[in-house]
Amino acid sequence: MASRQRYDFLLYGIFVAAILVAPLMLDEFWLNRIAKYLVFGMLGVAVALSWGYAGILNLGQGLFFGAGAYMLAMSLKLASPTSLQQGSDKPVPDFMLWNAEPGALTQLCCINKGSFIWLPFQSQWFGVAMGIVLPVAIATITGMIVFRNRISGVFVSIITLALVLLIRLLVIDAQPLTNGFNGLTDLAWLTIGAFQFDPYSRATYYLVAIALSLVLVGARLLVSTRAGLILQATRDDETRARYLGLDVPSYQIFFFVVSAAICGFAGMLYVMVSEFASPTFMDLSFSITMVVWAAVGGRSSILGACVGAILINMIEAKVSETKALVEVWKAVVGLIFVLVVLYLPRGLGGFAHDLLDRWRARNAEVVPDEGLVVAESRDAVAERG
Amino acid sequence: MIDTMFIGLSLSSILLLVALGLAITYGAMGVINMAHGEMVMLGAYTAVLSRIWLDANIVMAIPIAFVVTAIVGLVIERVIVRRLYGRLLDTLLATWGVAILIQQAIRLEFGLSFFGIHVEGLGPGLQNVPVPAALQGTFHLAGVEINTYRAFIIVVTAALAAVTWLLLQRTSIGMQVRAIIRNPKMAAACGVDVARVNALTFAFGSGLAGIAGVMMSGFKTVFPDMGTPMVVDGFLVVVVGGVGSLLGSVLSAGLLGEINSVVAALKNDTIARAVIFGVVILIIVVKPKGLFSFRGR
Repeated sequence: MASRQRYDFLLYGIFVAAILVAPLMLDEFWLNRIAKYLVFGMLGVAVALSWGYAGILNLGQGLFFGAGAYMLAMSLKLASPTSLQQGSDKPVPDFMLWNAEPGALTQLCCINKGSFIWLPFQSQWFGVAMGIVLPVAIATITGMIVFRNRISGVFVSIITLALVLLIRLLVIDAQPLTNGFNGLTDLAWLTIGAFQFDPYSRATYYLVAIALSLVLVGARLLVSTRAGLILQATRDDETRARYLGLDVPSYQIFFFVVSAAICGFAGMLYVMVSEFASPTFMDLSFSITMVVWAAVGGRSSILGACVGAILINMIEAKVSETKALVEVWKAVVGLIFVLVVLYLPRGLGGFAHDLLDRWRARNAEVVPDEGLVVAESRDAVAERG
Repeated sequence: MIDTMFIGLSLSSILLLVALGLAITYGAMGVINMAHGEMVMLGAYTAVLSRIWLDANIVMAIPIAFVVTAIVGLVIERVIVRRLYGRLLDTLLATWGVAILIQQAIRLEFGLSFFGIHVEGLGPGLQNVPVPAALQGTFHLAGVEINTYRAFIIVVTAALAAVTWLLLQRTSIGMQVRAIIRNPKMAAACGVDVARVNALTFAFGSGLAGIAGVMMSGFKTVFPDMGTPMVVDGFLVVVVGGVGSLLGSVLSAGLLGEINSVVAALKNDTIARAVIFGVVILIIVVKPKGLFSFRGR
């Protein structure tokens, strides 16, 4: 086990070093793109935590991503020049003016019913805080209802799926408040002190890369704590964990919330990098796509899921440069997905682990240390779940 | 009001046809088939293609679509789903991949578009199917004006639901399906050829979805992505109705279809779908097994 962890952290170190060194070889355009994919990598981490370690297939991760994105985007929208050029010293989002009833006060408080909820977002830090608080709050309430009622397996997937589609429709329907289908565009840059994070700059890239590194290592440490081990025990046999006297729902809620918080955080970073927030973040296909990334990378490996997300998106970006291949690539993703589920159920990460185990087992034969080999292969079996 | 209820009933009919297949495959085989919506889409495209190439109207397209989608369903079961029995969530993911493949196959005209060959009726664009004159317009029944095409949908669905019920309750293969729904291992131990029955069930369910697609093509635009919302809706019907319960699916399709059309009449379509999702979440939380579940212990 100890040596397995050593290998793991070596790999994590290599990955973190790679994303930190990458800017030396890339121009601004690619930095911005890669920053986006790193954000997707963070979503991979969130999926691996809830699906791989907790056994909860959340088909509504997009809800938390969208919540984080919208919260920050609301603040950045108010800070944007387009919101200030409306003949008033107080910012008002441009789309509200377009749709305002004649004679309405062009003030955030009362330009339309409900526009007052935008008031606190005049502070950028309120938006940043809400970007974590809102996903955590939604996840806590959902988690309490779902896991205290002992709802499990596919029913959790259906509830989360219905929830994300429900919220998506509400956001689209609340057009005066959210700009409906069009989402929030023309956003300002995030400002810390006097420094502005230009999405096409090294600074923004490093912010995303460092955030991803912290989340990645944090998640890896979290799953090897006692709580993480209990969670895996629950995933493998919920009833047994219950009979051992563990408060199973508490652990499930905790990891569900952590995963949601990571998604919310990723949503905020994505808004910074891509300068928009839209209801497509809450499309069913986006939430399932996240699961695809994690499955290809390896659901039971946090790093694997993260790398899977980044790799798939990088290949997609390369392929999409040729126009004729855009649609073909989608078909290839579908095919890869079918093949991975059929032949590599633990994804590329699991495949790599197996190779590593085999290689180490062979080395261990040279040094006659049978006990170690047996213990480790048992460990590998356990992880396969 | 009666008007709204009638529109709701025709929505329910489409939902039911989609859900029947899912109810059987999920109930009997423990497979979540995300490619089921693509069967609806393929059915609709069969209607488009048979109009263009065979000069066949919607009514004649129904049996063709049933055969085509049933065969596609059979192939999916044989090649992919068969290897995944007992891995519920994996079936969801693998069939999602299949769904993307089928969508892209239509969009790229089975790859022919690369060679510059264009098949009329395929490709990424929107398609339309005209309703035959006999099914257009309205007629009066007991003083109420009724849309003929919607009535046609309801009649076809009722007939197909009755046929499904008879197949399940009155034939030996139906009895085997019911045995598998109750307890697959015990059924296998009693000599039921589970693999064969599952393949046939899967094909039959896909065929029903194909018919739903043909009927949808009469009042909705046909395009490659049209299946995804259908599989979600169909699945919600199954879960609300209770896994493995045909009656449950019928009633919950009726319930959800009516809620949809009533709320849509009062507010708008977007809110109507949102209300549906809300109702479904509530029902799952309160009764996770669905309103009617006959699954064995």
